[in-house]
Amino acid sequence: MSSGAPHRKRFSWARLAFFFLFWLVIAGWSARDIPVGALAAVAALWVSQKLLPSAGARVRAGPLFVLAVRLLRGSLAAGVDVARRALSPRPDLLPGFVACPLTLPQGAARDVFCLLQSLMPGTLPTGAEEGRALVHGLDLSQPIAANFAAEEALFKGAIGDE
Amino acid sequence: MSVLADLFSLAAVGAGVFFFIAGTAGLLRFPDSLTRLHALSKADNLGLGLVVLGLIPRAENPLAALKLVVVWALVLLSGASTAQLIGRVLRRGRE
Repeated sequence: MSSGAPHRKRFSWARLAFFFLFWLVIAGWSARDIPVGALAAVAALWVSQKLLPSAGARVRAGPLFVLAVRLLRGSLAAGVDVARRALSPRPDLLPGFVACPLTLPQGAARDVFCLLQSLMPGTLPTGAEEGRALVHGLDLSQPIAANFAAEEALFKGAIGDE
Repeated sequence: MSVLADLFSLAAVGAGVFFFIAGTAGLLRFPDSLTRLHALSKADNLGLGLVVLGLIPRAENPLAALKLVVVWALVLLSGASTAQLIGRVLRRGRE
């Protein structure tokens, strides 16, 4: 079960199904167009395997759900937070950079994590150097580094990298 | 039921427009490019999410509703990626 080949093969089928469903959503349902959709899905699979080969991440449903709920809540809070600061009589800001230690190795997982963090309230990762993410914060009085570390632990739990 | 759906759409799209206006206010009022990026990426993402939420009950079929969600997700991903890239260039420009 744990050998690489069957895992990669199953994952490829999942990707193919994903791309076909994605095409269906974009193009709409029409029996006549299905062959075009199937070809497009195969082409997309080929490109995706070239650009992002299967890394064999063991995504876990429970922690992933917790992470998704946190992200949605964070995204909502981020919008409300920025709106409040933007519309207050005097914009309530204390901006600056915070160097947050990163334990995720360089690669796709780290990139996805930083991307998700840019949706959270008051933080915008602007790249990583020497194992630290340089995060721009809207308000440095907030515990930006502590929140970042907590989110990273949650993310690692969701992708099975602990 | 239809009146309820209409009211829901009105409230969600109205809230979405409010966040677009707030994002634009941030763009105009925040002091530098990095803080303006926060305003655009976060408030507009939420605004678009609410507009999409309001339009879902008016979709012709479930696939059309899913298409709206896909549009939102693509804008969310591209907006977040672009904001990070612009942020990186701005940070390096300051160094």
